[in-house]
Amino acid sequence: MLSFAILAILLIAGSVGVISLRQPVHAALSLVATLMTLAVVYISLEAHFLAAIQVIVYAGAIMVLFLFVIMLLNVADREDAKFAWMKPAAYIVGTLTAIGLVANILQNPMPALNSESINNILNGGSAEAVADVLFNQFVLAFQLVGVLLLTGIVGATSLVQHKALAVKHEEELANG
Amino acid sequence: MISTDYYIALSAIMFSIGTVGVLSRRSAIMVFLSIELMLNAANLAMVAFARAWASEGALNALNGQAAVFIILAIAAAEVAIGLGILVAIFRYRETTELDLLSELKL
Repeated sequence: MLSFAILAILLIAGSVGVISLRQPVHAALSLVATLMTLAVVYISLEAHFLAAIQVIVYAGAIMVLFLFVIMLLNVADREDAKFAWMKPAAYIVGTLTAIGLVANILQNPMPALNSESINNILNGGSAEAVADVLFNQFVLAFQLVGVLLLTGIVGATSLVQHKALAVKHEEELANG
Repeated sequence: MISTDYYIALSAIMFSIGTVGVLSRRSAIMVFLSIELMLNAANLAMVAFARAWASEGALNALNGQAAVFIILAIAAAEVAIGLGILVAIFRYRETTELDLLSELKL
C-alpha cells in the first residue's frame, strides 16, 4: 500500500506539473516523469511487457519528438485578458469531475482480487503472453496499425517537407 | 494486493487533470501534452481492468493489455501527424496559440 501511495503521489504531482508549468520544456519533462512512473505502476499491475514498451516508445520516442518540436517552435504561454475566465472555470470543472468520479468509484467497490487466478491467466504480462493474444485475436488490428503508422510517416513527411523544398529552391536561385 | 478501485480512481484523477490542461492552456503544444496525459490515464484504467478480469477467471483478460499495446502504436502515429500539422501551422502563422487560429470562423 505504501508503494502504491508513493506512486500515486508521483503520478498526480507529475500530471499537475504538466498542466501548470509555464515553460513547455519543463511541462514535457514533467510528462516524461509521469510516464516513467506509469511504467512502474504497470509493473505493479502484472504488465511487465507494457511497462518496457511504455518506457521505450512513450517516454523514449514520443517525448523526444515532442521536445524536438518545442525546440523548433520556441512556444511560450502568453497571458492576456481574452478568455481570462477560462482558466478558473477549467480548474473548477476538473476538480468537480475528479471528485465525482472518485466518489462514484469508491462507493461501488469491486470484488477482492484472487492472486492465483491473476498469475495463471496474465502470466506476468510477459512478451510471450501478450504476443499470444496480439498475433491471434488481434492480428487484424496489428496489421492495420502497421498501415496506420506508414500513413503517419507519409503524412508527417509531406506536411513538413514543403518548406524544405522551398528553401532548397531559394538556395539554388541564390547560387545561380 | 491493492484493490482495482484505487487504480481506477488514480486513472480518473489523471484524466481530470488532463481535461483541465486541455481547457486552460492556450498553446497548442501544451494542449497536445495534456491529451497525452488523458490517453495514458485511459491506458492505466484498461490495464487495471485486465487484472480485475483475470482475477475473476476470464481467460481472455490479456485482451486489455494487447489493446493498450495497439493504443500506444496509434498514439505514436497521432503524435507524428499532430506535431507535423503544428509545424505547418507555425510556418504560416508564426504562432500556435489556439485563440488566434480562427481562420475557419465565418
